[in-house]
Amino acid sequence: MFSLSYFLQQSMNGVILGCIYALLALGMTVVYGILRLINFAHGALITLGAFFMYFVFFRLGLPFVAALFLVLGFGGVMGLVLDLVAYRKLRGGPEVALLITSLGFYTFIENLTKLIVSPQPYAFKTPEFLATLYRTPYLTFRTVDVFIILSSLLIMLAFHLFVKRTKLGIAMRATAENLEIANLMGIEVNRVISVAFVLGSAIAAFTGFLWGAKYGQISYDMGFLTGVKAFVAVVVGGVGSIPGAMLGGFVLGLAEVLSIAVLPTRFAEYRDGIVFAILILVLLIRPSGIMGIREEVRV
Amino acid sequence: MISLLKVEKVTVKYGVIPAVRELELEVGRGQIVALLGANGAGKTTTLKTIVGVLRPARGRIFYDGKDITSLPAPQRVRLGIALVPEGRGIFNRLTVRENLLLGAYHRRDQGGVLQDLEEVYRLFPRLKERENQIAGTLSGGEQQMLAIGRGLMSRPRLMLLDEPSLGLAPLVVRELYTLIRRIRESGVTILLVEQSAPMAIGVADYVYVLETGMVKIAGTPREVESLEEVKKVYLGG
Amino acid sequence: MKRRIPQELWFVVGGLVLFGALFVAEKTLNRYLLHILILMGIYSIATVSLNLTNGYTGLFSLGHAAFMAIGAYTSTLLTFPVSLREAYDLPRLPWFLGGPNAAWSFFPALLAGGALASCAALLIGAPVLRLRGHYLSVASLGFMVIVVTFAKTLKSVTRGPMGISAIPLYTNVYWTFLWLFIAVYVVWRIVNSRFGRALMALREDETAAQVLGIYPMKYKLFAFVVGAFFAGVAGGLYAHLTKAIRPFEFSFTLTFQIVVMLIVGGMGTMSGPVVGVVLLLALRYALKPLEEHLKLYGLIELIYALLLIVVMLWKPEGLVGRKRVSARGRREREEEGEWARFSILK
Repeated sequence: MFSLSYFLQQSMNGVILGCIYALLALGMTVVYGILRLINFAHGALITLGAFFMYFVFFRLGLPFVAALFLVLGFGGVMGLVLDLVAYRKLRGGPEVALLITSLGFYTFIENLTKLIVSPQPYAFKTPEFLATLYRTPYLTFRTVDVFIILSSLLIMLAFHLFVKRTKLGIAMRATAENLEIANLMGIEVNRVISVAFVLGSAIAAFTGFLWGAKYGQISYDMGFLTGVKAFVAVVVGGVGSIPGAMLGGFVLGLAEVLSIAVLPTRFAEYRDGIVFAILILVLLIRPSGIMGIREEVRV
Repeated sequence: MISLLKVEKVTVKYGVIPAVRELELEVGRGQIVALLGANGAGKTTTLKTIVGVLRPARGRIFYDGKDITSLPAPQRVRLGIALVPEGRGIFNRLTVRENLLLGAYHRRDQGGVLQDLEEVYRLFPRLKERENQIAGTLSGGEQQMLAIGRGLMSRPRLMLLDEPSLGLAPLVVRELYTLIRRIRESGVTILLVEQSAPMAIGVADYVYVLETGMVKIAGTPREVESLEEVKKVYLGG
Repeated sequence: MKRRIPQELWFVVGGLVLFGALFVAEKTLNRYLLHILILMGIYSIATVSLNLTNGYTGLFSLGHAAFMAIGAYTSTLLTFPVSLREAYDLPRLPWFLGGPNAAWSFFPALLAGGALASCAALLIGAPVLRLRGHYLSVASLGFMVIVVTFAKTLKSVTRGPMGISAIPLYTNVYWTFLWLFIAVYVVWRIVNSRFGRALMALREDETAAQVLGIYPMKYKLFAFVVGAFFAGVAGGLYAHLTKAIRPFEFSFTLTFQIVVMLIVGGMGTMSGPVVGVVLLLALRYALKPLEEHLKLYGLIELIYALLLIVVMLWKPEGLVGRKRVSARGRREREEEGEWARFSILK
């Protein structure tokens, strides 16, 4: 029933979805680690990035690479705005307050997009140079698939180097581990948080473009579930671990696609339900996730 | 004697509750000053206020003659104040080396930082051995070394030590205090907070005893040691 | 104890006044306004019940719409007229629910809807309520997604994405406000009892509450289940008002609306939820013609979101609420230590 090529094809799709989740999870986990905030607005940045790219590349006709950098910049700026306008004011307050406010921001941005752009989905044409089809005996894919995987790996590598090798990156990990002590050491915690937001948001905006290029359609509500699923990826991979977030993204992407591929077609609509069932299972059975922190620390 | 640090009538409140009241203390250049007191007396609060993480409701802090009361913590660290927090305060999930480098976060001189790193490794050879190990896997004593090493990485002029002997075996504590003396010899002024009085008094040039946020006793070690209350409460009779 | 009696007297008096007013309203208002009034009642039930779990017990559940969905579908499937079942591809009732020629009457059907929602709450609550703050929120959100997914896929029972229409119009002002009255009374009784104080103690500081001998799970589950019950009833009332239900109506948007109403009105207060509902629904229907004529779709939700943001940033206790000094101050969180930051279970 299931041929090798079907399995490979679906695995590839799973890996691609996993790349997108991994990128989103990266941005979410740094912010979560530092602020304990599930940034629902992260999902909004996917939508914003997708539409921004649409207008800048397709409507305005800017060159591709320039458009990409603009999207990254735009995402970064939006993230900074969110940080400065909203979250900074709520620091030190109850955790739930941050969550509720981020929900508010998500809904605000989603409806702003709906209002200003359109309630109808837009067709996102894959750029021509990314649309070349390749047929191999086992796998059919387009350039865009390779692009997504390569660019995701590149970003993940860059991010990894950033948090491991640069002063600011190490400071970010330190702040995520213990904000109070980082503060005591004189690390400018607010600046670190802003950097986390900027980076995560830039990546999220870029992900919006990837989504549009792969799935061919963007709409004002495309970010919500994907954003929440990114958080599921963080949990699956292990809260507080950056490599865990990336791993969680891949695991979730593969799980989502392969479970649907393996089940009969009428189960296709269970897709989202399956993701959340995975979340609940993980939270119950192994809350620290795959690579989460365990008590390996001697006190 | 010119003082490096002067805390003038400082009051620090948590909400409406004053943790430190009209506190006055002075630390001379090159001295080791001990700050003693029971739990909750306000010792940690005092250190946090000096480093800039807490703001006093009233009073002023002078460092090297300058009024630093309104300076934020990062800037105070740049001026040479380093805090080694209570309970080590290291980042357990980072490596030894990363922890140390973070101590030099504010410094711009890359070359100087690497030099100092070598110095710290010379001082603490065991840290060099475990350079790339995750800090959380170190023993208590090694973690304390790491915390102090990290403090040294900022090239401080004033080092604030918050209960460094907490949870350490007596042998290790002796090593620790030898180290503290060596640090002072290298020109760093030290303000030392301890619950364990005997060792602190033994190494200090001047002693303050805090009680409920105020200075109850102040004097040289000899003066303080001979006081009956001190003998009973802090020195075990 | 003596002061209790006059307060309950207020309820009786209030109830009579309310129903008197409703009688007048029914006779005088046009259908459109009456419809809005009933909707206010229904949303109030949902918001008041959410207030019990979120406001008073501090469990920030985002899955409330799921319970409304369960209540809506259950009561609909029970009351659906026998003669139409075949035409609408809906199953007939099994023998233990009355047999193939039975259709339930309204009140029992609503009760059943609420009961089933409560069962779901019990089932999902046991595992999920152990989780910390935002994990609870995301897990409850996930639960809602799962429920909606089932609503979309169990086509033989729910007719899938098409939903069920031609639901008998049983809801009127009296039913709605009767249930609101009951809901408010129940919440009021719970909140003003020892039980209620325990709930609020849990909300403030769970560890402290445990030390006082309060078993968190028992209390949390109770609040969760009661909240779910009324949400289920609200769902049933909603179904029999709008005469048609579809899975996507019970999505996050609905939960969000209720959350906004609750927060803007004032979480953790008795009158807050209703104030929030009235204000926000009035706003919605005032702006609706504008949104539709100028084709500004999304305007109302946008304003809702904006209101939420404004309230959260500047007056988080809501319109009716008073500023609460959070028991868990900053210092306590500092002393918590690193490990606690990442623990998901309490």
